[in-house]
Amino acid sequence: MNVAVMKTKAEQAISESFEAAAEKLPGTDVVRERRAQAIGAFSSLGLPHRRIEEWKYTDLRANVKEIFPAALDDAMPLTIAELIVALGPLAHVDAHRIVFVNGHHRAGLGDFADAAGFEVAALGELLATATEDVSADLVSTPEGGDAVETLNTAFVTDGAVVRVTEGASASKPLLIVFVRTGGSASSVAVRNFVTVEDGASATVIEAHVVLPGAAQDAQLNALTEVTVGNNAALHHAKVAVDEGKALHLTSCDVTLSADATYRNFQFSAGLGLARNGLNVIFEGEGGKIDLSGGYLARRAEHIDTTLVVDHAVPRCESRELFKGVLEDHGRGVFQGKIIVRPDAQKTDGKQMSQALMLSEDAEFDSKPELEIYADDVVCGHGTTVAELDPDLLFYCRSRGIPEKEARALMIESFIGEAIEKVENEQLRGALASYATQWLGRSSGR
Amino acid sequence: MLEIKNLHVKLADEDREILKGLSLTVPKGEVHAIMGPNGSGKSTLAYVLAGRDGYEVTDGDILWNGESIIDMEPDERAAKGVFLAFQYPMEIPGVAGLTFLRTALNAVRKKRGEAELTTPAFLKLVKEKGQKLNIDVDMLKRPVNVGFSGGEKKRSEILQMALLEPTLCVLDETDSGLDIDALRVVSEGVNALRDKERAFVVITHYQRLLNYIVPDKVHVLADGRIQKTGGKELALELEKSGYAEYTHKAA
Ligand SMILES: Nc1ncnc2c1ncn2[C@@H]1O[C@H](COP(=O)(O)OP(=O)(O)O)[C@@H](O)[C@H]1O
Ligand SMILES: [Mg+2]
Repeated sequence: MNVAVMKTKAEQAISESFEAAAEKLPGTDVVRERRAQAIGAFSSLGLPHRRIEEWKYTDLRANVKEIFPAALDDAMPLTIAELIVALGPLAHVDAHRIVFVNGHHRAGLGDFADAAGFEVAALGELLATATEDVSADLVSTPEGGDAVETLNTAFVTDGAVVRVTEGASASKPLLIVFVRTGGSASSVAVRNFVTVEDGASATVIEAHVVLPGAAQDAQLNALTEVTVGNNAALHHAKVAVDEGKALHLTSCDVTLSADATYRNFQFSAGLGLARNGLNVIFEGEGGKIDLSGGYLARRAEHIDTTLVVDHAVPRCESRELFKGVLEDHGRGVFQGKIIVRPDAQKTDGKQMSQALMLSEDAEFDSKPELEIYADDVVCGHGTTVAELDPDLLFYCRSRGIPEKEARALMIESFIGEAIEKVENEQLRGALASYATQWLGRSSGR
Repeated sequence: MLEIKNLHVKLADEDREILKGLSLTVPKGEVHAIMGPNGSGKSTLAYVLAGRDGYEVTDGDILWNGESIIDMEPDERAAKGVFLAFQYPMEIPGVAGLTFLRTALNAVRKKRGEAELTTPAFLKLVKEKGQKLNIDVDMLKRPVNVGFSGGEKKRSEILQMALLEPTLCVLDETDSGLDIDALRVVSEGVNALRDKERAFVVITHYQRLLNYIVPDKVHVLADGRIQKTGGKELALELEKSGYAEYTHKAA
């Protein structure tokens, strides 16, 4: 039976927005074709909704009511001083930078030309000159991509294309900064590629920040494709800090070769409606991943973390630790799937998801899923939901610490256990400062 | 001076009276021991002095230096000099002892109108106090009390007390679960803090602690009231005869 599904206003607006933007999006004919195919595919998919298992708790069809125009202005002014303000605590992380303003590369704000070990380029510029084959690779939807990734293909304007060359060990991290500025509502789609060649190692931090005063009506779709080569290592972090309203849809697809190491930390605060998707596949034996994150949600903010870890080969190890603080009507969603394929003997997988509920109206949905088809494996998962312990609060207060500060200390310690996972000390410090700021304390401790 | 006057305390969510007209005066510079059978209300008294939720004062008053503290928040009391060394010190995962103590000390200093300490000044102070009390301050680098032995927890309480410099020190069964060595360190710590500006309320079930911390007075608490007051020899008497006499009286 073929039932024509009624399109929502937002779905219709997406198609219209594409019509209006298509001419101005970067890329040669082959890219244009890809985009047109993608929007066609999206047309039949529609926005993900609660009857699609992976989107059960984060129903975009119901929650995304309007679509903002694609941000096509590639000359939004932003000074270095404003960039520093937008970066906040992240400005203290000693790193090379590549900077995008409203989804468009801004050469004057970056300093990656001499980043040792890295080869960095901007996707938008590549698309203007690349051959058909390269372009097609850069603007394709990942295999098994969902509606959100499909939309990324249709609308993507720019992003960082990063290569860590074979055997290089990049000492300084690369910070990929996406800044939002300007007073009008906008929708941005960006895409990054991070390729770490055999034997190389690097730290890459992806930051999504806002210049204070920028329009809060904002929609982001970011896709990052990561490959980590044999014996290579990538420490990856995504930091997203906003002011409580923005729609933030991100996917990260990671492929690991033999004996590769991949660490990813996701920090989210002040995101209106967020989906942090992370898919990792082990393609070579001996791979190791550590996925972790901390998120803070208050008012009616909603933060969804959805992980799929695919142990396709033997002898790989995965660790997952996600911690969320939920205040007011804040809602946290954690979906963690671990697949162990029939061949993947000696798999070692552990998952933990924890929420701290600061109000009775907060909500936490946790859905761990272990799909194990091999027999010689060690896999486990756990979920905890807790409130602040009144006895601990009393203990702090009996030492003279006022209630507000005692609560903040407890919350910081909870989220701190996740932040501990970040290996870069300056980044750890910056994330702790964000948490402190979120808690409304001065960060000058 | 601590003055507890006809104190009646019940559990907040239960109609059960625990302290039933307790009166007690502890002048500055003195150490008073409170002894009593299990369940007689010793910890309740300690908690009510420190301002824990869950108890309701239905009658009577507690004055510290002439000022009623029963309506004060726990942190206000701490700023006024009240300190409770817990019978079961709490573990705070994820918060380093040094962070915890610096936050506490600076909060108290702020309320007392003193300047906050810089990090180096704070670390110097911690080291000094540790040396004086014979306590290794390295344990403060770890999360508060996490994974500490019973003895370490009590030592950490005494170190906290020394740093916060309270004027009313309430010790709830600080001796429980301690071996002789730990008991000695803890007692020496307490003795080092004794001075004419400080009052101590030392709660214990056994006389043993009082060999090390020699009290000026001993009170027997049973059935929610002070049943008898005497000198340090009263503790020895109790050691021999037990609390039967008082619990009987209570029943
Ligand atoms: N928070 C509480 N909730 C329930 N019962 C309590 C509470 N605190 C004290 N009690 C009860 O009050 C009585 C006195 O307890 P406590 O003060 O701990 O005595 P002690 O320290 O002398 O052993 C006991 O019967 C105990 O069960
Ligand atoms: Mg007790």
